[in-house]
Amino acid sequence: MFVVVTVIFLLIHLIPGDPVAVMLGPDATPKQIAEVRANYGLDLPLHWRLLKWYGRVLQGDLGESYFLGRTVLQAMFERLEPTMVLTVLALLVAVIIGIPAGVIAAAHPNSLWDRLLMAVALLGVCIPSFWLALNLIYVFAVQLKWLPAMGYAPLSQGLGNNLRYMLLPAVALGFNQSALIARIARSCMLEVMRQDYIRTARAKGLAERVVIYIHALRNAMIPTMTVIGITFAILIGGAVVTEVVFNIPGLGRLIISAILRRDYPVVQGCVLFLTMTYVLINLGVDLIYVFIDPRIRYD
Amino acid sequence: MERTSTARWHHSLLCSLVCVMILGVGTALGGVASTPRKGGTLRVATLGEPPSLDAHWTTATITQVITYHYLEGLYTQGKDYTPIPMLAEGHTVSDDGLVYTFKLRQGVLFHNGKEMTTEDAVPSIIRWGKMSTYGKGLFKQVESVKAIDKYTFQMQLQEKSAIVLPSLGSANNFSAIYPKEVLDEAGEGQVKTFIGTGPFKIEERKPDRHIKMVRFEPYKSRPEPPNGWGGGKTAWVDTLMFIPTPDVSVRVASVESGEADFTFDATPDAYDRLKDNPDIKVQIAKPYYWLVSILNKKKGLFTNEKLRQAFLAALDMEPIMRATVGRPEFYRHDSSLSFREEQWWTDVGREMYDQKDQEKARRLLKEAGYQGEPLRYMTTQEYDWMYKFALVTKQQLEAVGFKVDLQVVDWATLVQRRNNPDLYDAFTTGIGQFADPTLHVVVSCDWPGWNCDPDFQKLLDTMAIETQFEKRYKLWQEVHKLFWERVPVIRYGDIFALNVMRKNVNGPFDMIRPYFWNVWLEK
Repeated sequence: MFVVVTVIFLLIHLIPGDPVAVMLGPDATPKQIAEVRANYGLDLPLHWRLLKWYGRVLQGDLGESYFLGRTVLQAMFERLEPTMVLTVLALLVAVIIGIPAGVIAAAHPNSLWDRLLMAVALLGVCIPSFWLALNLIYVFAVQLKWLPAMGYAPLSQGLGNNLRYMLLPAVALGFNQSALIARIARSCMLEVMRQDYIRTARAKGLAERVVIYIHALRNAMIPTMTVIGITFAILIGGAVVTEVVFNIPGLGRLIISAILRRDYPVVQGCVLFLTMTYVLINLGVDLIYVFIDPRIRYD
Repeated sequence: MERTSTARWHHSLLCSLVCVMILGVGTALGGVASTPRKGGTLRVATLGEPPSLDAHWTTATITQVITYHYLEGLYTQGKDYTPIPMLAEGHTVSDDGLVYTFKLRQGVLFHNGKEMTTEDAVPSIIRWGKMSTYGKGLFKQVESVKAIDKYTFQMQLQEKSAIVLPSLGSANNFSAIYPKEVLDEAGEGQVKTFIGTGPFKIEERKPDRHIKMVRFEPYKSRPEPPNGWGGGKTAWVDTLMFIPTPDVSVRVASVESGEADFTFDATPDAYDRLKDNPDIKVQIAKPYYWLVSILNKKKGLFTNEKLRQAFLAALDMEPIMRATVGRPEFYRHDSSLSFREEQWWTDVGREMYDQKDQEKARRLLKEAGYQGEPLRYMTTQEYDWMYKFALVTKQQLEAVGFKVDLQVVDWATLVQRRNNPDLYDAFTTGIGQFADPTLHVVVSCDWPGWNCDPDFQKLLDTMAIETQFEKRYKLWQEVHKLFWERVPVIRYGDIFALNVMRKNVNGPFDMIRPYFWNVWLEK
């Protein structure tokens, strides 16, 4: 984590750009900008600022946003709900589409279904999520007016209202990931279907549906679950584009606007948070693996 | 009873007359302007979260647009962009022109219920003088500001000044009056509590979600009719929501789908589609910006006047403007440093704009001794129109022999780099409306580009102390003559913005930036 903390700090401070120049607007003079930079301590040498940052992190203080009028922790906490809701829903969409698609494709290898589903999966991987998002908005919000074009309704305003706003973003984000899950599920299923015990199950006269869904699927899900877990971690940080397009006030949008206006404390705090989240989720997946596959034990 | 033919004729005539009356009344009703009504929530999709809600703190226009609804300045700008009193009742000036006495309006309440007096106005103006770009400019000439009584204060000048009212009336980075306790709480930083005297008060601020304002019922409007950003103001809508929506296509889509009621700064390419939409009204908002390439006159290539003249001579403005905005409705050619809508507009120097003289440009390059050094030209894609006019400019400059190194950076990098004369030769930006010609950044020695030409400064210093408009206007014309001779920056044409709103939104929308008092929603 020490390396992460250092790299994050240096990355954002070494790229060109000045938060104070952005804050004071286009007509501010260099002299005005220099005065305000001093107030924010941005005229101090880089190594001093880095040491101060270490001290703060150790105390759990991620600092205060230059632009939002609140602490970084407050800013992140306010945006956690939209990102988590979007991530969970996108993952659900990805799993609901991806796993059945992968299983069906594997159950009928090299058939028309297989080719069609894998072609759709390929499209899913290739289509940029922002392009899909804009088209979904155009069709469902602008033309059909079935769903809102943008925004977010908190869960406190009702699950139904929340889902109304999150459906299009979840599909835009989840479709991309469903393609990956479908391909992985198909590969895993095909491998499992080649195993001797599957041949034995068929020889015993079990219905094909039982063979696929009871015997094969459960074993194929072990590696697939790993991918799903990693996908979850990626989605938390990777929902940036979707959040910007749909105007969802989540962590992704917070990070992108903080980067664009060089809100250093927010960028540092958010990237640190996402890094820790990624590490914890990976750890969680590894631990779950032990329960799913009794053959696996960690020393 | 059987009708006679006469009776039938009378009957027909009567029916015709009734039909004509109905038609006439119907047409009249259809043509009558909508009557303002109270009620509803107006949702405005803006281009992003404002960097601050403190009007003294920043020149960012999004801050101006939003804070103008909860704050008011001592003066503001009328429809012709001249200063008019807002929180001031008026002023008098001593015979020697050195003492301005301002009388505040009485009975004006802040949103916390307290009456605005000089106890609030004086520290607000002093703070504005320390923080605001326009305040600082004025306060170079100010000796002191002090209260005389509860509603009267005086500003003592060191020398006569023509920019007192224009500076106080500037719409951007304006002379907002805050309650004294809000300023005490803020100290040297930004205000933390958002209280003003405006027709709306801030009820809730959730960064990246919305800024919610509600009608301030005890608001005391000026008695005169509406006039630009001043005059009588009525908060017709109950609630005003500013919703930051960075993506322009989503901003427009949100109005089309009914998620928002109004957006501004939309791109002209949506115009055709939107104007045919029965649920939408579009408005071409003018003026907006004029395009400019700022030349670094402190160091590098453009310390050489002939190279600046060569740059200007090379340009053919029509393809540049067309490439930048696409549609002729959204630009116009103009040579003045002030917009056509302002009293300062002049066509002096018009013949030097749009020279499209490649031979002259090549000759000037030769005379300047240009050796092919790369011209470091900064632009950004964050403002699409800046990037586009930079691309075409590059092409036209290369056609005459310039070697152009186009550096595309993000806005935060551009505004940082432009303060360092070692890092660039030119950068792109847009120029808006300024409260007074002497406050124009393109003629300033303190602003990037550094127009420190003593002949300019002499004219501007004279303008700053000359109080008669006719004489000042003549001086401004002299500035234009010099401008087109010395070419401190490259002035392109004007571009206009696109406002998009739902059909039921009604309002004047008659200023360079929109405002939402005197705006109502039809049912």
